Amino acid sequence: MRSPFAYTPRPRPLQSASPGAAVAYLGAFVAVAFLYSSPLVLAAVGAGAALAGLLAGASRAVRVALRMGGVLALLIVVVNVLVVNRGETVLLRLGELPVLGRVDVTGEALAAGAVIGLRAAVAMVAFAVYSACVDPDRVLRALRPLAGRSALTAALISRLVPVAAADAARLRDAGRLRGPAAAPLGRAVMARRLLTGSLDRAVDVAATLELRGYALEPPRRRLIARLSPRQWGQSCDRRPRYDRRFYAIGAVVIVAAVVGKLLGADGFAAYPTVEVGFGGATLALSALVVLAGLAPWRRRA
Amino acid sequence: MPELATPPRAVPVLAIEGLSYAYPNADEPTKRASTAHTADDAGRVLRDVSLQLAPGEFALLAGRSACGKTTLLRAACGLVPHFHGGEIDGSVSVAGRDAIAAGPGELAGAVGYVAQDPETQVVSTTVAAEIGLPLEMRGDPPASRARAIEEVALALAIPHLLERTVDALSGGELQRVALAAALVTRPQLVLLDEPTSQLDPVAGDELIWLLRRLNEEWGVTVLLAEHRLERCLAAADRVVAMDAGIISFDGEPRDFLAWAQEVDNALETPSARLFSLAGIEPLPTGVRNARQILSSTDALGGREGDTPLSQLFPKTASAVRPSGSGKSTSRSGGVPLPPGGSSAVNARNLWVELGDGDRRRDVLKGIELGVAQGERVALMGRNGAGKSTLLRALAGLVEPVRGRAEAPGGIALLSQNPSDYLVRERVGDELPGAAGAAALRAVGLEHAVDADPRDLSGGERQRLALAIALAGRIEGEELPGLVALDEPTRGMDRALKGELVELVGGLAAAGAGVVVATHDVEFAAAFAARVVLLGEGVAIADGAANEVLSGGWYFATEVARILDAPGVVTPEQGVAYLAERGRIA
Repeated sequence: MRSPFAYTPRPRPLQSASPGAAVAYLGAFVAVAFLYSSPLVLAAVGAGAALAGLLAGASRAVRVALRMGGVLALLIVVVNVLVVNRGETVLLRLGELPVLGRVDVTGEALAAGAVIGLRAAVAMVAFAVYSACVDPDRVLRALRPLAGRSALTAALISRLVPVAAADAARLRDAGRLRGPAAAPLGRAVMARRLLTGSLDRAVDVAATLELRGYALEPPRRRLIARLSPRQWGQSCDRRPRYDRRFYAIGAVVIVAAVVGKLLGADGFAAYPTVEVGFGGATLALSALVVLAGLAPWRRRA
Repeated sequence: MPELATPPRAVPVLAIEGLSYAYPNADEPTKRASTAHTADDAGRVLRDVSLQLAPGEFALLAGRSACGKTTLLRAACGLVPHFHGGEIDGSVSVAGRDAIAAGPGELAGAVGYVAQDPETQVVSTTVAAEIGLPLEMRGDPPASRARAIEEVALALAIPHLLERTVDALSGGELQRVALAAALVTRPQLVLLDEPTSQLDPVAGDELIWLLRRLNEEWGVTVLLAEHRLERCLAAADRVVAMDAGIISFDGEPRDFLAWAQEVDNALETPSARLFSLAGIEPLPTGVRNARQILSSTDALGGREGDTPLSQLFPKTASAVRPSGSGKSTSRSGGVPLPPGGSSAVNARNLWVELGDGDRRRDVLKGIELGVAQGERVALMGRNGAGKSTLLRALAGLVEPVRGRAEAPGGIALLSQNPSDYLVRERVGDELPGAAGAAALRAVGLEHAVDADPRDLSGGERQRLALAIALAGRIEGEELPGLVALDEPTRGMDRALKGELVELVGGLAAAGAGVVVATHDVEFAAAFAARVVLLGEGVAIADGAANEVLSGGWYFATEVARILDAPGVVTPEQGVAYLAERGRIA
């Protein structure tokens, strides 16, 4: 079964954009999520990123990310209320627990944990949209002139992950088909076999990369040397159609977030008592972030 | 009039001189423990090999398994020694460049290489990106890349795949994409290592003739390593045969056939064997050539008054079936069902869906299949027809959405990749105890108990995997009702296939029903008494092997295509047919 986060080419603006534009746009959501603690802004970031994913056709990735993010957020809330005893509103006294010591569940620790969990969940949605909508090949090739070895490693991993998943499924099947007198296929044995198999696979994939010329000098430098300045300018000027839109919206969101932060739009404090600000700046920034999620929208002909 | 200057002699595209090579650590004792390696005492898998290919030649590289074909191809593209290491002597020149000094990356523009397993030959997410990668690596501008991708996609009939992701492709499609990536730089030389081993007869034939067309129209020099020689001999200009790391023959296809007849019968094609048994000269290089020769000798003439073939060749399927089974045959999904007592497997109205989301589709559509104990059945059909899924459903690895499959005596399934069964580093550890030893004895591997499974030959690994699947139920009463093998002949030469026929024949004789999913029509003719042909999840033909394998074009043996006589599929049957008609002495 194909991963919901696997890249799927679609004729949509986000998929058509260059990796830089897509990263700038989706990165703006992640940046706001880490810059702000206001639950309203964080919820807006989640809504914006999810909207972007839906408009880009990655609804399955968004759904799965929301589900996984929800579980993660819940886990963070539970851990936070168990390890943080700050806060004035005690909801539950659990007494002395092994390792943790005295545990009081406070409303403030609950709220703080919920905010951290929400941040993790919305970041997960943004990464899910990135994974499902941005072509990893284009990202790696964009990176290659800057960091050739890292790009090679990433290319190997990105190819080996699905191959290893397929190998694991086949090994599991073969394990079920072993005769009753054959040595059983334990988890440790299977893990070791999968590892050695992956190394063999990695050698094959690396050989293919060698044959395709991956070990050659990165192309940009050679291209610059080969083309005249005029030709070079022509080949570089051809930006994908939607790049400006994504760069512009990403920049607007980042600038608005920084300005909002300076104007006090991040109105949230968990301790000693929970305070949430719903000022005009917070509402305006939240509305802007949600609207930014419309960027991948494409007018139908 | 001025005299025309004599054209300069063409520089060979590939020039190998005195090449000897040993893989790293090839002289370790464990590597010599099995019969897999034909290396000499110094561990050399290539020994003093010299070979030249002129521009535009189409050469076929023949030889038994593990004779050094793959290593020679790797040396010709620079992977040996650059990628694999090891010790090398001699020289390799590709398009005038020293391949030993240059390495595969720098040779990428001059030579394209397509390995046996297409899954590990793709490194990008989409087909277009995969094909364009070599061009991007050498810094071609986008417009030039786009044109080259489009042209090679058109040449290989895959423009509809360009926007798809590689994980959505079938094996045959992946193989074409790998070929496209190898050809997109317009190399002077293309090397292919058993490219048809995972393809059905239709796709395999298409690929060979596609290569021939590219060879003729683009002038690409082709060096093709293959076991199924009957498939590509007619397309080749020249045959290079290897044996234990040396070149044992180098010449024209017809001379190769005469050489194979004398030196190594395992390299004979079925048509050549038919002719040699019948005493007809010259030996044919393919179906068309064979028919021409037979017509010229009048061996195919005079059809009236012939003895009916049904009398000449009784249906072996009914002979193998338990006596008094009284099977009723129906077609198009209505498949013979053996009577209750002797049934090895019984599938009724079997529907299986695979995929997820939008891609969910019916792979099996109401299959009905009955196999009797002791029956030998070949399951055939195009890539994606549902053969593997049917075997997996019979073994309980996939749940049918409708219908059911029963295997009263149990089922042992050997899936496509025998290495999946080999998870330990010692054969004896895979099969412990007396039952394990019995399983090893049954497949003739008792001598290899201390060997590392990875050091066994392809055929031995296959047998070991079968022993693992059968361990604890290989003798007498415990033998599974059905033994199923999925595409077991990949990468096997004819001799190894012969051993496999003997092995599974023995299981059938001991009372197990044996079903083999295969693309190899010659293997099916040698092994099976009955053939079930699947098409898009439906059984489209089911009958005696010699009927089904002589009743079509693609799913027919070479002898059947030459003689076009119902029921005649093997060289021996062909000789009897010709003799009965009085065409040969």
